[in-house]
Amino acid sequence: MIFEPQFFAEQILNSLQFAMLLFLLAIGLSVIFGLMDYLNLAHGTIYMLAAYLAYSLARMGGNFWVVLALAPLAATAIGMALYWVLLKRAERATHLVQVLLTVGVIYAGTDILRMIYGDLPLGLSQPASLSQPVNVFGVSYPSYRLFIILLGLVIMGVLYFALERTRLGALVRAGVDDRETAETLGVNIGMVFMAVFAIGTYLAGLAGVVAAPIFGIYPGMDVSIIILVLVVVVVGGLGSLKGAIAGSLLIGFADTFGKLLLPQFAMIIIYMVMAAVLVFRPSGLLPARQFNG
Amino acid sequence: MMAAMTPGKLRFLLGAAIMVCALAAQLASGTFAQELFAEAAIMGVFALSLDFLARCGLVSFGHAGFLGLGAYAFGGFSVLMGFSPFVSLIAGVLAGVIAGIVIGVFAIRTTGAFFIMVTLAAAEMFYAFVFRSPLFNGADGMAGVMRFDLSSIGFDINDPKNFATFCILMCAVVWLLLEFVMSTPFGRTLDAISQNANRVAAIGGRVFYYRLAAFTGSGAIGALAGVLKAQHTNFLSPDIASWFVSGDVLIMVIIGGLGTLVGGILGAGILVFLKEILSTHFGHWNLFLGLIFIAVALVVPNGLMGALVERLRLREQSAARDAAADESAGKGEGAP
Repeated sequence: MIFEPQFFAEQILNSLQFAMLLFLLAIGLSVIFGLMDYLNLAHGTIYMLAAYLAYSLARMGGNFWVVLALAPLAATAIGMALYWVLLKRAERATHLVQVLLTVGVIYAGTDILRMIYGDLPLGLSQPASLSQPVNVFGVSYPSYRLFIILLGLVIMGVLYFALERTRLGALVRAGVDDRETAETLGVNIGMVFMAVFAIGTYLAGLAGVVAAPIFGIYPGMDVSIIILVLVVVVVGGLGSLKGAIAGSLLIGFADTFGKLLLPQFAMIIIYMVMAAVLVFRPSGLLPARQFNG
Repeated sequence: MMAAMTPGKLRFLLGAAIMVCALAAQLASGTFAQELFAEAAIMGVFALSLDFLARCGLVSFGHAGFLGLGAYAFGGFSVLMGFSPFVSLIAGVLAGVIAGIVIGVFAIRTTGAFFIMVTLAAAEMFYAFVFRSPLFNGADGMAGVMRFDLSSIGFDINDPKNFATFCILMCAVVWLLLEFVMSTPFGRTLDAISQNANRVAAIGGRVFYYRLAAFTGSGAIGALAGVLKAQHTNFLSPDIASWFVSGDVLIMVIIGGLGTLVGGILGAGILVFLKEILSTHFGHWNLFLGLIFIAVALVVPNGLMGALVERLRLREQSAARDAAADESAGKGEGAP
């Protein structure tokens, strides 16, 4: 049945949709790591936080589009506060200390959200305007999922333009390439990093809101996706937009088609892909530069 | 001034104190606490295996794979194939050795974050295998794992007190063994590799083989911990190999102090008891656990042992400065 064109096309769209979600999370994690050598596992907590905030806003009568505009911004504000109060203090620490710190944030954040919202999974309804399936190349496909694909593509385009054509983008590239030299030449890497952190956090929040109608909102949704995102970042290569795109596409397709073609290996297919990539390219597919881990 | 205290001496004294206190405390406490002491000692062995690997500069995020492998190999040989627990113990540890070599050959080509992800991948593959394996009852797990039979020396290991004693002694033996290994030229080379692998390679050290040996040894000890864990619970569950367990043991080692060996035991004891205390007193106890992790990361980033050693070093430096000041005031002999 996999070779029926209709079904095949639908799976390609599903893969793309999943890849876009992974991309929204991976790009922030990857560039934060590339620029400041910061392993921020609390990135997933922002994803979860935005989904819960979206639920609250929707309960208050917010239209989906209003929620989509506000919840990621609110999550970004909280994320930045978290950065100033806690995360910044481990900027110069080892990766392991950063892991301990951000795992602490994950634990505490999950339980705070459980206290407020309870343990049961919650839902967020799709916008009414995107509830009807649409016809894509002869395939009837849920329009909401198509919206996620388009949103992801637009953001990829915007980020590409921002990185390649704007001043901030040039500063980010310089900082990832060689932070010390960039600083010596007068670039305020601290400010650049704040901007990158804010954008990355915003995109993680955006991912949380758009994922909520599909995957639901539940305690632990951050942990279940952050491992996949780490795989994407490592497979794609650290610190680069192209790497994050390549990694999320590869993992998105491998996960969707792996579950279909080799259901008995569904749980490990992405790890096999990752192992295969790292054997041939130990720094990932398209890293911004050589990292020593 | 007391006699000169070196970091090595401090570690040794602290380790001995932990072992003696744990033995005394568990003998004096009830059955439930004895189960916790056994759990802490087993996790102590497991933390030692991870910390030993850290001594050559590698941090694994898939160590639960070895724990699970040891447990399942032990269960497979003893329950499914009917071998005696001692033979099964050897089989379990050998499984760890073989997996260490096979995975190590691939994983050790990478370092840092990439090594972390490759080891995670290997462990997740094992998890997925046992999760679906009909032989081991898949996700439901398999009961009926027996403990060693030590009745010939009059030791009933099914008594929680005796099992806790046995585990604490195993932990002590593994710890002393690793301290000994680290004092040999092999161990010194591992330390040198963790400080600067390129320099070791430049003077002709075969970094790859040293790391492979450390990874294999670490796998064997991780599998040993798995054998003990299977005996402790008399049960095999795929959860033992999940990455939550890998994360837990990593946190134990970081809290105790990476690369200090005894710190791992300390961290294991702290985390096992902390989880128990928090979960009996608070509903949302992960909040407190998270806050404690945050506090440790910010206040003692080098872990408890790391902080102690650092403090000792500072005190010695100031003592040395005082001595040097005295000396230059007296004779003015060559300063270092």
